[in-house]
Amino acid sequence: MALEPAFSAATMRRFRKIGIIGVPPLEVIQAANAHGLVIHDLDEPLVREDLETASPYLPRVYCAILRTAVVNALHLELDAIYADTGPGKCDCALHTATILAEALPIPVIRTRNTDTTAFGTPLCQARLPLIDRMLAITAGVKSAAPYQNPPPPCTPTAGFWGVPPRDFSILGLFPDTTHIHGWARCMENKTPADHALETEFNPEVPTVFFAQSFCAKTALARYLAKKHPHALYLDVDVHTTSSARAKVQAFLELSGVRP
Amino acid sequence: MILGDFGTSYCKFLDLDAPGAKPTIIATKELPRETRVDLATGHNGKRFADRYVNELIALARGGEALIQEEEYVLLDCGSRDIKFIRYANGKLADMGWNAECGASMGFTIELLERYYDLDYGHLRVPEQTFSVTCGVLGMSDIFDAVISGIPVAEAVARFVKGIAVNAYRFAGSPAKLYLSGGLCDNPLFVGSFPCQVTALGRFVLLRGLEAEARQPGKPGPPIIS
Repeated sequence: MALEPAFSAATMRRFRKIGIIGVPPLEVIQAANAHGLVIHDLDEPLVREDLETASPYLPRVYCAILRTAVVNALHLELDAIYADTGPGKCDCALHTATILAEALPIPVIRTRNTDTTAFGTPLCQARLPLIDRMLAITAGVKSAAPYQNPPPPCTPTAGFWGVPPRDFSILGLFPDTTHIHGWARCMENKTPADHALETEFNPEVPTVFFAQSFCAKTALARYLAKKHPHALYLDVDVHTTSSARAKVQAFLELSGVRP
Repeated sequence: MILGDFGTSYCKFLDLDAPGAKPTIIATKELPRETRVDLATGHNGKRFADRYVNELIALARGGEALIQEEEYVLLDCGSRDIKFIRYANGKLADMGWNAECGASMGFTIELLERYYDLDYGHLRVPEQTFSVTCGVLGMSDIFDAVISGIPVAEAVARFVKGIAVNAYRFAGSPAKLYLSGGLCDNPLFVGSFPCQVTALGRFVLLRGLEAEARQPGKPGPPIIS
């Protein structure tokens, strides 16, 4: 089925179950919530299928998150996909949406999220396990409701800059007092195209600048890591390798960050 | 307390309870399966010990023990990977571990010496070099060079120099660096670096383990698999 040019709340009545890629605009999520649709975040591993099943559609050397999105899209019975392809996502998502539109018998609707209403970033600054906070941030993409009972901010001892990784296990190495920066912070704020917010970091604490391998954000991550006085640049593909894990572990320990 | 650095090609041991004991080396392929140590590092180390220190931490602690400077770069070139630590003002400033694109460099250098029956002690550092980022991929440059009429020894020397230059760039192209690992004993490799090199030998990680072991109340973290 061809790409559908624009979002229309009325068309959502036809759907029961949709997939999203990236962070579609709030009006899309609001409409989906209002119609009681089931939303699947296709950027997360949702099905037990080999990532290789994406290879007929995307090169093997490609963003693991978008390869995951393709695998999900191929194996979940969805009524439509809303793929954010604007400045809040990337060209890779744009091309992936084009490919999926031809490969799947469902509509693939491209969106451009330029939302500027800040929802706040309480989870990014809270004292809680980093994995739990990142899970909550990614889950928050499926809801348009304001945050209730936000946790209080803590004094940071470390920083994690970047996107939610495809493999969250790397986050288990960080202390609970790690503040989240980068695009993950923009996600929680529901302003994924806020590049100024994305480039913010805290020079006072040792920070890991993370990007998915083969993602355009590797350039930004490495650039910012060089500007930061105490940083580690890290890119990881599908799974966290033992050397990536060791780098983070060593960086934090040698920087005096307590677990 | 017995310390063990379990490398891809060689394992190094030190018994802290034996006064004046020197480190010992054994080829990894000859290592008895029942070997146990108290504190281990190296990519094979977790199998042989209850407590493990990751290689970058062992390298950094070894550097702190052996190098009395505030600013330095310490590069470890192993069989399987390369890693470096950079200190500035006495604190960690940068680090890297290349286990993927730096794959099998040291292993390949040793393999080539045996296969072609060469002696790196007698090869001069060549003028030219290959652009080598990986031991496995770089071998095709050797074969192409030999086919084009370049002597085997010269082709291998260019390959070794290419590996040294790649490792040097990976470490941030410093004016001076400290070198760790078995390749310290390879004069062609050491001489191929385009900077001042101080070779510390193959026991730097073991010295790092020793420093970790001697830290009060900190015998190393337990293994979490």
